Amino acid sequence: MIIERLLIFFIFITGFIGLISMKNLIKKIIGLNLLTSSVVLLFILEASRIGDEAPIIDNKVQNIVDPIPQALMLTAIVIGVCVTALSLAMVVRLYKTTGSLDIEIIKQRLDDDCE
Amino acid sequence: MNKRRFFKIFITTFIVSFIILPIIISNTSWPTLARDYLFSMAFDETGASNTVSSIYLGYRLLDTLGETLVLFVAIVGTMTILSNIHKQSLQSIETYSKLPLEKRAKNSLRTNLVEVVASKLGPIILLFGLYVMLYGHISPGGGFQGGVIVASAIVFLALGTEVKTKLTNSTVLLKIESFSFISLILVTTYVVFFPNGFFCNIYTDNTFISASIIIILNILIGLKVGTSLASVIIAMMGGQNDH
Repeated sequence: MIIERLLIFFIFITGFIGLISMKNLIKKIIGLNLLTSSVVLLFILEASRIGDEAPIIDNKVQNIVDPIPQALMLTAIVIGVCVTALSLAMVVRLYKTTGSLDIEIIKQRLDDDCE
Repeated sequence: MNKRRFFKIFITTFIVSFIILPIIISNTSWPTLARDYLFSMAFDETGASNTVSSIYLGYRLLDTLGETLVLFVAIVGTMTILSNIHKQSLQSIETYSKLPLEKRAKNSLRTNLVEVVASKLGPIILLFGLYVMLYGHISPGGGFQGGVIVASAIVFLALGTEVKTKLTNSTVLLKIESFSFISLILVTTYVVFFPNGFFCNIYTDNTFISASIIIILNILIGLKVGTSLASVIIAMMGGQNDH
């Protein structure tokens, strides 16, 4: 199970590097989404370690996975959608105000406006 | 300058990997206590054979109510920011969802092919979303998942022009959203009049009735999530869409 963990770690690091190093705001939001996805995948992987069947109870299943992380990640996905929608709306607002998506040009133009 | 920035990013990534990697790699055994309890008791206590549904609409209903509140606040913020923008620059902005027919052939986001396929697929996806919502207690699915499918179906209907529907009007969508949110609060808090306690399922007799509150909550959450996400996407596509 070490390979899955390393892949999840690489998704996390990809999202993190995108979040801190990209200058385009849309790419930053994509990085944030990748980071959220890696956390969701990690929780689902941890929950699947103690069973191998879907957590839907009928007469046949014996060894279900832990359903609690799945319910928690349902919350995390919805919160991720909320954060994405709100940040995209703010990006639209910044683009309408300054006419650019590059974070350094935005800062420069806002400073010019203040002076 | 560029080298220095690269060095900073490298150092930050290294420190974060140093903290995160032990958490992801750690191989401590996962506790089975909660799983065993839910496996033996969840169906009898809530009446839903989907254990995830019985957690987020039974044991952790307060959590779900807070989650829908967070969704509501995010949608209100997004709609406020976007609606101010459209009011400021109504003349200058020309979004692709309002293009007249003769200009659509040149726009890659709004062609005749997209319109026909989207408006044919829209009702079918809407039906599938309602199925996922209604059968959330016995099959994989539930309110949130069905709501997201309903939202994509409404976006498809808004992209196409063949089906005339009021569902793509943001006023109608926001009315449905407010109605389902008020109903959700009323349904989740009516149990205070019964002796079982706050946010409890009052029927525990393991029949169809005991699952009925989960079905009602799934429908309400699905309506709320679907209409609010669809209204945000329609607002991002260019404001009020009523063809």
